[in-house]
Amino acid sequence: MSARAQGVEVGYAPLVAALAALTLVAALASLTVGYARLDVAAALADAFAGRSTVAALVFEQIRLPRAALGAMVGFSLGLAGAALQGLLRNPLADPGVIGVSGGAAFGAVAVFYSGLAGVFALAMPLGGVAGAIVAALLLYGLAGRGAGTMTLILAGVTINSFAGALTALALNLSPNPYAAYEIMFWLMGSLADRSLPQLWLAAPLTVVGWALLLSSAPALDALSLGEDTAASLGFDLGRLRAQLVAGAALAVGAAVAVTGAIGFVGLVAPHLLRPFVGHRPGRLLLVSGLAGAIVLLAADVAVRLIPVHPELKLGVATALIGAPLLYGLIDRMRKEA
Amino acid sequence: MFSPTASSRAAAADGAAKPQRVVSLNLCADELALRLADPGVVKSVTWLAQDPRNANLAEEAAALPANDGHAEEALAYDPDLVLVGPFTDPASIALLRQVGAPVVEVGAPQTLDGVRRQIRDLAAALGEPRRGEALIANMEARLARVAVDPSRSRLKAVVLRPNGFTVGPGSLVDEILTRAGLDNLAARLDIAADEQVPLEVVALLGADLLILDRDGSAAPSLADAALDHPAIAALARRMTVTSLPARLWTCGGPEIAEAVERLAAAATAARARPATQ
Repeated sequence: MSARAQGVEVGYAPLVAALAALTLVAALASLTVGYARLDVAAALADAFAGRSTVAALVFEQIRLPRAALGAMVGFSLGLAGAALQGLLRNPLADPGVIGVSGGAAFGAVAVFYSGLAGVFALAMPLGGVAGAIVAALLLYGLAGRGAGTMTLILAGVTINSFAGALTALALNLSPNPYAAYEIMFWLMGSLADRSLPQLWLAAPLTVVGWALLLSSAPALDALSLGEDTAASLGFDLGRLRAQLVAGAALAVGAAVAVTGAIGFVGLVAPHLLRPFVGHRPGRLLLVSGLAGAIVLLAADVAVRLIPVHPELKLGVATALIGAPLLYGLIDRMRKEA
Repeated sequence: MFSPTASSRAAAADGAAKPQRVVSLNLCADELALRLADPGVVKSVTWLAQDPRNANLAEEAAALPANDGHAEEALAYDPDLVLVGPFTDPASIALLRQVGAPVVEVGAPQTLDGVRRQIRDLAAALGEPRRGEALIANMEARLARVAVDPSRSRLKAVVLRPNGFTVGPGSLVDEILTRAGLDNLAARLDIAADEQVPLEVVALLGADLLILDRDGSAAPSLADAALDHPAIAALARRMTVTSLPARLWTCGGPEIAEAVERLAAAATAARARPATQ
């Protein structure tokens, strides 16, 4: 990667502003594109005037949570991807690739299908967070601290396939006849017909996760100079690791509990933005989150425009973009090695 | 849809040789067999038939050993008739035929005529043609009592099943709706008999009556959770929302008469409701 370290000359503030504007455009597109013809302006006017027309209802209860969740989950995945890549100093460390999303899906599935989700409202996102933490700790145990790419990927494969098998097991054990068919949602993810209460449930944990991840920027920049240098600069590496694992688990766990595991966003977003921030992992965090939001919103608009019924799972769309990119990344790393 | 083997046809023709050890590997076949056969003849039914939340004859079924729908389980009873469904594993059916067990397939009828034919055919296979005719006559009588005033415009209705499926034209449920005096709005969408439809499309169809298909299952699933979307609760303030248990219309059995009765009653209630806005 050193050959590309020069990057592209773009100021940081204009870059953030441009990405934020693009996120807004993508969110507006997500609000506008749908299956039924909906006069969004009229629906919005009704909603603000407190008129409970069906149009306002569809806008508030169906379109709005879908767009807001798309932005929130995309931001979480892009941000967590950038943070994990900084921590593990490996551009392949995407929450999906290394098994954190898979662990979160199992956590959410165990809570939901056991009926625990009905006991208290936050149980489901907390289940996702718990699963994500276990997966992240397992990964760190297997491949932490300067392990090679091969070890990281193998650890990810192990955790992913195990979490996937446990998810299938939990679904099979459910007495509900529909449960066994729902593995597609948990492994591939979707934003279809999500609701406002789900947004409110996931949001608080997500925001705490974002805060933990974004505040680690200076330490991540120092870490890119090597562990010893970072330590000599006064950064507590143990604390940094705990902060990043907790932050990624909160953001990804809460997201997966609502939308299922959506792969590749945490891989694509940092990869696209890295050249624009001079390859500084700290600066990559915020812009990668915004890029993740844009990618996910765009993918969610795309699955609604592609005339396939029932609509494609989001993970299918992101994999179609992300898998070739992952392939290219691995190919390049192999040549550089 | 229905393919009695030579041996079961022979059994039906000769009333004295009614099958004595019947095993059913399909929920819909379970219920029809329990309604039609002599007590003690049905040796085993599926586990699904024992769940009172999605079966009509759960009490009778619970008294029998349950099976998971596998050929091996059926063979343990040395059956002289095995009933299978449209989704029974073809390998299971092949295995049963291979060892010479008479197999009858109970289909999923898509019309009221198909329901009648199905009852008649299975009654024949079980050697109980008279019981079959009585069951049909009882169903017809109940259906005939649901009077639909042809001069009134039909209420517009749409069905929402778990996972956001709705029911299009050319299906038994479409005919059930028509019988109950309703106009199935999904027929105006370009969809097949049974298709997933986004919630916003359902909301904006402009129905008078939204029919939710609930099985009342205690165990959670995303499929059922789709019916708890807050948008549906909000819609209930603007149109009549009614629930119909899945057990009444999952199988095309005589219980569809009750589905028609309940929907006709819901339509009456919806008409009585003051118009909103």
